[in-house]
Amino acid sequence: MDKVKEFIEVMGDKIFKKIEKKGRLYFEVDNENLHAVVEYLFHEMGCRLSTATAMEMYHGIEVLYHFSHDESGQYFCPRMVMTDLKNPKMKSITPIVKGAEWIEREMFEFWGIEFEGHPRPERLLSREHPEKLDKPLRFRRNS
Amino acid sequence: MNKNTIPVGPFHPLLEEAEYFSLVVDGETVVDIDMDIGWMHRGHEFISEQKTFTQSIYLVERICGICSTSHPLACVHAIEDVDNTEIPLRARYIRTLIGELERIHSHLLWLGLAGHFIGYDTLWMWSWKYREPVLQMFELISGNRNHYNMLRVGGVSRDVNPEKIPGMTDVLDMLDKKLTMIAKAANDDPVLRSRLKGIGVLTHNDAVDYCATGPTSRASGVPADVRTSEDIDAYSLVDFDVIVLENGDVYDKLVVRVLEMLESTKICRQCLEKLKEVKGPILNNVKNISAGEGIGRYEAPRGEVFHYVRTDGTNRPIRHKVRAPSFVNIPTYAASCVGLPIADVLITTASVDPCYCCTERSLKVVNKNKQPYQIDLLKLSREKTERLRRETYGR
Repeated sequence: MDKVKEFIEVMGDKIFKKIEKKGRLYFEVDNENLHAVVEYLFHEMGCRLSTATAMEMYHGIEVLYHFSHDESGQYFCPRMVMTDLKNPKMKSITPIVKGAEWIEREMFEFWGIEFEGHPRPERLLSREHPEKLDKPLRFRRNS
Repeated sequence: MNKNTIPVGPFHPLLEEAEYFSLVVDGETVVDIDMDIGWMHRGHEFISEQKTFTQSIYLVERICGICSTSHPLACVHAIEDVDNTEIPLRARYIRTLIGELERIHSHLLWLGLAGHFIGYDTLWMWSWKYREPVLQMFELISGNRNHYNMLRVGGVSRDVNPEKIPGMTDVLDMLDKKLTMIAKAANDDPVLRSRLKGIGVLTHNDAVDYCATGPTSRASGVPADVRTSEDIDAYSLVDFDVIVLENGDVYDKLVVRVLEMLESTKICRQCLEKLKEVKGPILNNVKNISAGEGIGRYEAPRGEVFHYVRTDGTNRPIRHKVRAPSFVNIPTYAASCVGLPIADVLITTASVDPCYCCTERSLKVVNKNKQPYQIDLLKLSREKTERLRRETYGR
């Protein structure tokens, strides 16, 4: 719990819509503050990025990163919501966390989210596919 | 400087699954490596969102044939995390027991394969010989050698028969002796040392940067283990050590796994002792899962398995994310394989115990008429041959 308090004290003005559960902290963050929050989690607190989850919700596309603080077992989950369904765009965190490269490529492929600043914005699974695939593969509203 | 590219895969005699590496070499030395996945098309996340929670557990059990308890364990942890469901104590010990037995059989399987890859077939035969009694223990507990179907939301589906516990303890005693023998052999054997020491080093900083998990990161000095960091199952009630080594080479990854197996037998023995004393229910009947989100994870033999479930109050998830440990461990090849001779690349890639079936995600492709897209492989192959012929001979 101390880690959560410490995080909220430092980053409290940059995050909103907090949901606190046993061992989990979900919160929303906007595109401007994403890098500051991720940098604090990864470099200052020593969290490890487990993965990220993209979801197609009624209000838009959500991207939820899962940062694990292994010493305390606490999860910190910054959530980005993109309401522009035609051209979803957000900052890439791969320049800060190298381990995010593959998952961001996968989200780009499945949901068509453009990650600005990604060092290798290519498809992950269908790069060598013989047919040119233009549409996001799991985006239901498109099909 | 004359650089060449050597393709390995997607179907290669030495690889068990379909994967593709392109090795850029300068003479014998690898200067760059690129991985390409997507040769196996799975649809587990998508299918799971159309199934009920109980059906999802059956489904995720079939993501991997080796981690067939780790995925359902992480899945039930995620569903239980939505409402913080309490698990009966006896069920917690049974979950821990099968989880640890799975770790032993998976590590023995990897050890055998690693021995085979480096041309040390004696190790392969030893390992797979001693894996057999573990599979027989699973048969005693669950009726199956693989895909045990033991897990439910709120507990486990089958109890462990107390009459069978002495027999299982005997098997663990035998395993302890044999594993100690293998650990000594790994320590003393000049062949293993000279072949694996200093090969494919993943430094501590690289392991942190790539967010590697499991034995891959613990061999590089990162003491991350889900079993100790989170209060899951009965791990807080048993005594065991997390094995952490410093060098990050293939030899250390082997030693971490061998020592972890010895810790696992220790945990199994404690669980079996407790199962003699602890009585009570094995399943907490869960009627409803409320709307919310849950994160579940488990320390699979290869590293952290991660499941995320988003629910809306009905009996099925609206989003189910699965992340297998290989998804974060495979990208570490870029750090560990560069600078090695070609002959050492294969054992380095095998040292993270990659599982491509777990890593792949769904891929649904339809053509213009919205029909499932099928490729005429023969036609493609003829077209490629024709193109190469034209490029080579100019006609």
